[in-house]
Amino acid sequence: MPSLSTGYAPNLGVFLKSLKSQQLEASIENLISLLKRRQIKNSRPCAIATAHLLLRVVARFKWTDVGKLLERIQEVGQRLIQAQPREMVVGNIVRRVLGMIRDEAKEDRNEDASDSASNSQLSSPKRQSSDLGHLRNAGGPPTAFSPLRFDSKDVVQAMDSNSDDSFGSKSSANHRPPLITSHTSYAVTNNVPVQHSMFNLLSAMPSPLATPPGVSSPQGRSSVNMSSVAHRAAASSNDLKAEVISGIEEIIDELDQVDEQIASYAQEHIHSNETILTHSSSRSVQKFLLKAAEKRKFTVIVAESYPNDHEATHAAVAGKSKSSLDDSDDMDSDTFLKPLPKAGITVIQVTDAAIFAVMSRVNKVVLATHAVIANGGLIAAAGARGIAKAASFHKTPVIVVSGVYKLSPEYPFEFESLIEYGDPGSIISYHDGPLVDSVEVDNPVYDYVPPHLVDLYITNLGAHAPSYLYRIVEDHYKAEDTNFHNPEFQY
Amino acid sequence: KKSGSPIEEPKEEDKTIEFFRHLTKTKAYPAGLKGANKDVHPAVQVLGLQMSNYMICGSSARLVATLQAFKKVIQSYTTPPGNTLTRHFTSHVLSPQIEFLASCRPLSISMGNAIRWLKLEISKVDIDVPDNEAKEGLCSAIDSFIQERVTLASQVIASSAAEKIRDGDVILTYAKSSVVERALVQAFEAGKKFSVIVIDSRPLYEGKHMAAALANLGMEVRYALISGLSHSIRRATKVFLGAHAMMSNGRLFSRVGTALVGMEANSYDKPVLVLCETIKFTEKVALDSILHNEIAPADELVIPDGPLENWRDVKGLQLCNLMYDVTPAEFLQMIISESGNVPPTSVPVLHRLGNESQA
Repeated sequence: MPSLSTGYAPNLGVFLKSLKSQQLEASIENLISLLKRRQIKNSRPCAIATAHLLLRVVARFKWTDVGKLLERIQEVGQRLIQAQPREMVVGNIVRRVLGMIRDEAKEDRNEDASDSASNSQLSSPKRQSSDLGHLRNAGGPPTAFSPLRFDSKDVVQAMDSNSDDSFGSKSSANHRPPLITSHTSYAVTNNVPVQHSMFNLLSAMPSPLATPPGVSSPQGRSSVNMSSVAHRAAASSNDLKAEVISGIEEIIDELDQVDEQIASYAQEHIHSNETILTHSSSRSVQKFLLKAAEKRKFTVIVAESYPNDHEATHAAVAGKSKSSLDDSDDMDSDTFLKPLPKAGITVIQVTDAAIFAVMSRVNKVVLATHAVIANGGLIAAAGARGIAKAASFHKTPVIVVSGVYKLSPEYPFEFESLIEYGDPGSIISYHDGPLVDSVEVDNPVYDYVPPHLVDLYITNLGAHAPSYLYRIVEDHYKAEDTNFHNPEFQY
Repeated sequence: KKSGSPIEEPKEEDKTIEFFRHLTKTKAYPAGLKGANKDVHPAVQVLGLQMSNYMICGSSARLVATLQAFKKVIQSYTTPPGNTLTRHFTSHVLSPQIEFLASCRPLSISMGNAIRWLKLEISKVDIDVPDNEAKEGLCSAIDSFIQERVTLASQVIASSAAEKIRDGDVILTYAKSSVVERALVQAFEAGKKFSVIVIDSRPLYEGKHMAAALANLGMEVRYALISGLSHSIRRATKVFLGAHAMMSNGRLFSRVGTALVGMEANSYDKPVLVLCETIKFTEKVALDSILHNEIAPADELVIPDGPLENWRDVKGLQLCNLMYDVTPAEFLQMIISESGNVPPTSVPVLHRLGNESQA
């Protein structure tokens, strides 16, 4: 373990340790420079660092109101994204946190509002939405995160946008013109009704027992709530803060477990004696294959993804971390995964050029990702497009393994803008003196793989068709946060 | 780390890739040299070494070098008393040379074609012709063969391909092909304004030499590796490919990675032109890249001081250093040969015509 006192080769581990001792502003600056210098790079470390930093931001935030907190997070998020716009997970995590704060805030407000609504026996439309509020609350305590969390969030989200109109949300009303508010809620109601009514049917079943007596007898409940309203006004900020913090911790837990969750689906997708082609080095893919290897024997062909990721790929295959002495680019000790050959998998290391040649022997292609876009396309290590294309030429299915946290709501129409160009020195070194001067060298780090070349996405939520990803995007992010970092593009 | 005793055992582990088991393994060159028959001519021994460490690389270069070496073999040959050149030379002198060369690196298709031609020439030598005259005749036949089938052919192809280049074109090419290089140089010298993208791959980096040669002439050259192909291909307007061989079913047999280039060019609707002398045409067919191929020594893939250094100790890990792949005919728009520009479907026709005229 590297000692944290030395600033030598800082990485994720050092950064996380420094968070506790450093001033918040210093931590933010620290992460920005780490991102800029690529001392923290790749999706997972970036996501973890961002989530931990935001946790600090919320914890240190001097509470005034929710709007201010959202602004603060947006401001920090903007700076992080500017530091490294192509690490799309940074933006994703910020959006997740923003969306969660909005949820928690609305829940709070809705509780108050629905209480008052039931109290004063209002006209039918409002009455209706307060019923919705009750139903939702009946779905389980909002802070208890079950495996259904995303589904229930979805419902919450849909209904909140409904209730937006009737109750008006302070914070989001500040940010959005009224026309757009109605537009969003229209869009959401249009998309969701089937799903949320289904969910309500199910979740509302056991609720009569669980809900407070207020539902059946508004009188009784109102008295309880009337007395607690004043209390809540004072306590809500603290409650909300605690809820937001536990929400972020939830996200951090998710980042921790995402690879295991994905791997748990492995045996459903890999049969015995298969030949699987994968490329570059990826924790998710490696865990996925290792999990499958517990029960099955198969062959994995690994393309090395030269020149940007070949060392990590070779190290992962040969099971040596000696070349990467700073082994904690990822989270310290668990970086060292069992190499595939140790798990009884026959591993064939090939060059990137041989992909087409061996593709006729491949049963399935498993791709790792850098980021996934809402249209079902993905950003992955350079060469991925060629692999996917060769696979589709040979009618070989392509499976993409990715955590939901890599799924970005951004949809850039110019995909080239997502591509990062790397160091040409890794292609032509200065040994080739004259060549360096006379030849222009391209070293793209990533490829964009269009959705029609992908057959299946396996995320921590299960397996989806590429065409379904937009739904998952909607479940995880709020439309108003999509372009928080460049407000001029908002709608 | 691993249990101490079986260190020996993993070294003996069979590292042959199961689906390439049918391809005879190339012996590393020291074994080739040691195993060399004393009958092997020094010029051929040198050539064998040069081929096995890729100093002479590329279908045409190997063909020419082989014929030159065989010329030396012929010149230093004297028919033993009681024998005739026709009967003795091929089986007793030429065959060991060929065997040795094949042990250094599998013969290229063009070499196979040339050797078949040479054997035919030898068999046609009249028994009554005196040794000296016969040898001279064979040498000049070899010279004119090289002249006709390689030198002139590549000139014709180069100028034909150069005609296809227009101002503003961006020509993408893969690895190194002497005839593609020649075509580009010719177009450049004709004053055409175009630029070149050279795509390259590990471990041979042939394209680097090509890029350097073109850049030295003052051409505008971009260089990228095959992983960056999908970015470079968008800039290109035409794709020029060299060939190791053209198969009779219209498929292109060429340096591994060529198929990817053809595929990407096809998916971005860029015309793919193959520059190929008819000496590289073969009656063989190929459907995939597995059946016919060459496996180069796996250790060539190991980067010094990299994590793969002791890959042989890792049980279950195999390295695959493939030399060629087969590009489907539908990716190719035109084959430029010295006998004309044809679609890939016409390869067997040209091959037959070429052979008939020769026979």
